[in-house]
Amino acid sequence: MKRSSFQRLAATTALSALVSACPLWSQAAAAGVQEFDPQAFPGQVVDDVVVPVPSEVFSVLDKLGEPNWRQEIRSVDLPKSADRIKLALMFGLVVAEGFVAVQAEDKEAVKDIGREVIDLSTALGLIKSVRPHAQAILDAADKGDWSNIRKEFDQTQKTVRDSMEQMKDTDLSQCVSMGGWLRGTASVTSVVTKNFSADRAELLNQPMLVEHFIASIDKMAADKKDHPTVSDIAKGLKGILEKMEGAVDGFTKDAVREIGKTCDSLLSGIQVTK
Amino acid sequence: MHLSARLTRRAALLTAASLLALTPLSHATIDDAHTFAMEAASPFVQQGFIVREDYWNGEVKSGQKLMVRHQMFKGNEYAFWLGTAQEDVSFELKVLDETGKEIALDYKSSQMYCSIRVNPPKTGTYSVVFSVTSKKEKGVYWALAYGYR
Repeated sequence: MKRSSFQRLAATTALSALVSACPLWSQAAAAGVQEFDPQAFPGQVVDDVVVPVPSEVFSVLDKLGEPNWRQEIRSVDLPKSADRIKLALMFGLVVAEGFVAVQAEDKEAVKDIGREVIDLSTALGLIKSVRPHAQAILDAADKGDWSNIRKEFDQTQKTVRDSMEQMKDTDLSQCVSMGGWLRGTASVTSVVTKNFSADRAELLNQPMLVEHFIASIDKMAADKKDHPTVSDIAKGLKGILEKMEGAVDGFTKDAVREIGKTCDSLLSGIQVTK
Repeated sequence: MHLSARLTRRAALLTAASLLALTPLSHATIDDAHTFAMEAASPFVQQGFIVREDYWNGEVKSGQKLMVRHQMFKGNEYAFWLGTAQEDVSFELKVLDETGKEIALDYKSSQMYCSIRVNPPKTGTYSVVFSVTSKKEKGVYWALAYGYR
């Protein structure tokens, strides 16, 4: 049946209306490739980013094999410092180390980390809100209650970040997240390098998180942004982002090793006091 | 004169007391939204999901579409729980991949919350799109939490 001009016009109008009502896909349709553009979302984009805890990635690595998590635990002996930026970064690092110790089901390591959490939160002036969680970690370690320890580490980190944000110190809160992400990612690269596969390496495809950290540093107050450790982290993250964006056909073992090396070097910088 | 002043003072006190009584309720509503999101999470916890302590929340115009960008890892199963503090609402909750394709499974809703499950086909960034539409209120409180297993 031959379509009338009116029908053609109506169909064209309807299609145009549909495309203009869906700007997320309009540009993509013109290019012939359907790509989602979150920037063109016709609503409100929530800026807050929830950074995954290391155990989210670790649980996938467990499903893909049986990593030797005990081999991944690093001794925690952090230097004393009055530098709040370093303390916040160290706090994130220590909590992430806690997730490694939980994965390894190592009671003594968890207890050591629990004590380190107490020391760092005391130095940060946040012991009052952290102590119940730290105590719960120590109690649960005695019982080998791993799921509860995991929950308490997550709560501890949230409590510290919330307290920092209540004190209008969002920059410090971001440092906690960054320290944790760097330590978690260093563990992932270590496990993946030891037993390389494309599926394991794909876990490093996290450009949005790295962009989020770079943007967070960029928004920091000058005294924090120019802190030597933070400025090193910004440089290191840019290098990591390049590696992630360059892994169009997947990560090579070398790229994984390079990301791990960068994380390790930044973590060393966090743990050094002048 | 004195009586009138006393009455005015009493009225002012009553108004202040009513406002004070209302204030904690309005403060409680975002927490209530999270409580309902956690209620939605409860059956998932029994199925082995680990609930994250961090979550998104806020107050928004009824029906306003919101989006959060979230990192997910292939190999994990995720669940998202959207809760609100308002009654008589309808929900929208979906997860889109980088091509804009919906990938969520098992949408379920109740009076105060809804949930979906996701098995991400790839490790990467996904968009969680949602809205809460109230039949009575202009603004709604919401909380979006997630868990994984």
